[in-house]
Amino acid sequence: MKIAYYPGCSLHSTGVEYDISTKKVCAALGIELVEVEDWICCGASPAHQCDELMSVALPAKNLALAARTDNLKEICAPCASCYSRLKFAQERMTDENMRKNVEQIIGSEYPEGFKVLHMLDVIVEKTGTEAVKEKVVKSLNGLKVACYYGCLMTRPPKVTGKQQFENPTEMESLMEALGAETVDWNMKTFCCGASFALTQTDVVLKLTRKILADAVSAGAQAISVGCPLCHANLDGRQEQINKKFNTNFHIPIFYFTELMGLALGFEAKDLGIFKHLTEVEDFLKERALV
Amino acid sequence: MKIVGQKDVKLDKAFMEEVAKRSGENVFLCYQCRKCASGCPSRMFMDSTPTELMRYVQLGMVDEAMKTNTIWYCLSCQTCSARCPQDIDIAHVVDTIRILVQEKGIKADTKNMRLFNRLWMNILKYAGRMYELALTGMLNVFTGRPFKDMSLGIKMMRKGKLKLLPSIRKPFAMMKMFSRAKRLKK
Repeated sequence: MKIAYYPGCSLHSTGVEYDISTKKVCAALGIELVEVEDWICCGASPAHQCDELMSVALPAKNLALAARTDNLKEICAPCASCYSRLKFAQERMTDENMRKNVEQIIGSEYPEGFKVLHMLDVIVEKTGTEAVKEKVVKSLNGLKVACYYGCLMTRPPKVTGKQQFENPTEMESLMEALGAETVDWNMKTFCCGASFALTQTDVVLKLTRKILADAVSAGAQAISVGCPLCHANLDGRQEQINKKFNTNFHIPIFYFTELMGLALGFEAKDLGIFKHLTEVEDFLKERALV
Repeated sequence: MKIVGQKDVKLDKAFMEEVAKRSGENVFLCYQCRKCASGCPSRMFMDSTPTELMRYVQLGMVDEAMKTNTIWYCLSCQTCSARCPQDIDIAHVVDTIRILVQEKGIKADTKNMRLFNRLWMNILKYAGRMYELALTGMLNVFTGRPFKDMSLGIKMMRKGKLKLLPSIRKPFAMMKMFSRAKRLKK
């Protein structure tokens, strides 16, 4: 299977381990990722709240660039925010006037009928958990995982087309195929505060604390995510949360591709897992995953 | 909910129509069920709930809508838009009001979001991709807290999670896109 790959800015910086593990896992599953040549930022957090036209033009430009790559008709984005902006652009482009203006801005035709997928969709829907299960060489051995989707992987359903947007279960089925146990919890689609980390950190600390607390009280030993912004907040802010709220969180946050990589037999260091800010080495050693 | 006499409130029909038209959302369908307010994760920080904001728009209460901190505490998490029984994309309405405030240069406490948006969009205009170090650096300097998240930043840099140099992609093509957009908006 060949599919256009749009990593997005975060996967080249704060979420670099997501990029590394995604590429490894896809190669092992026989999914060929063709990176969109000269891709640009999708406009993520700021464009939709300061410039409606550019918020559609930037993702549309990326779709136009992707259409030029090997004549592909599908594109996948591991970042939930990029995925959402690409999907939103497609929805907004159904407006005739918007389409005319955007085509003028991007200086090329907008490719109709492109299929935009999140990385999780590629694995669960297109490859299937059965195919993943066959490739598992090192079971996660009952590791208790809380699957965290955050906001934009599922919402709004009008744009993402997801049926179960309040209680999605794709990641759970994937984790179970890897031999992990999943926990039932309340905060799987609750917002972590995303880009407010830079402007209003207090909001992020409060919201992220709720998520961590709920995962821990549900008995989770680790949280699995599919968004670099969620990861940055849940993983990187634990120390600040502990200091501010006098808590004692120390729960490893993995990208779902990292957990897949471990189960498929890759070494943790080759998946970039040691780039996490919350220490994971002892955790993995205890469970013989290193 | 604040109760005010009619003479204390400026009602601006043009504002109501502009929000409805630019967002393309039928804001008049809102019947104040409060589902958006109940689900909003950021509600505890807001002066007015999203439900109240929708009423401000329906009535054309321009000052209340534009100057409340509600729009600047919206996380764009899409919970309200996903749950609205009248199928109004409330987050899109919020975005539209935010855009109006910024375009018209209205004085309001935007919680540094005006600055954040401007910095990010400018980085895109000249580099094409995000350059986190410049964004956080400038944001911290301009907001007068230069050492915010310093130790976190250093840790991330050590782990190779922050690019030291920007990755610039076709800057002229990007600048052209931005200037074409500017011309179209006129």
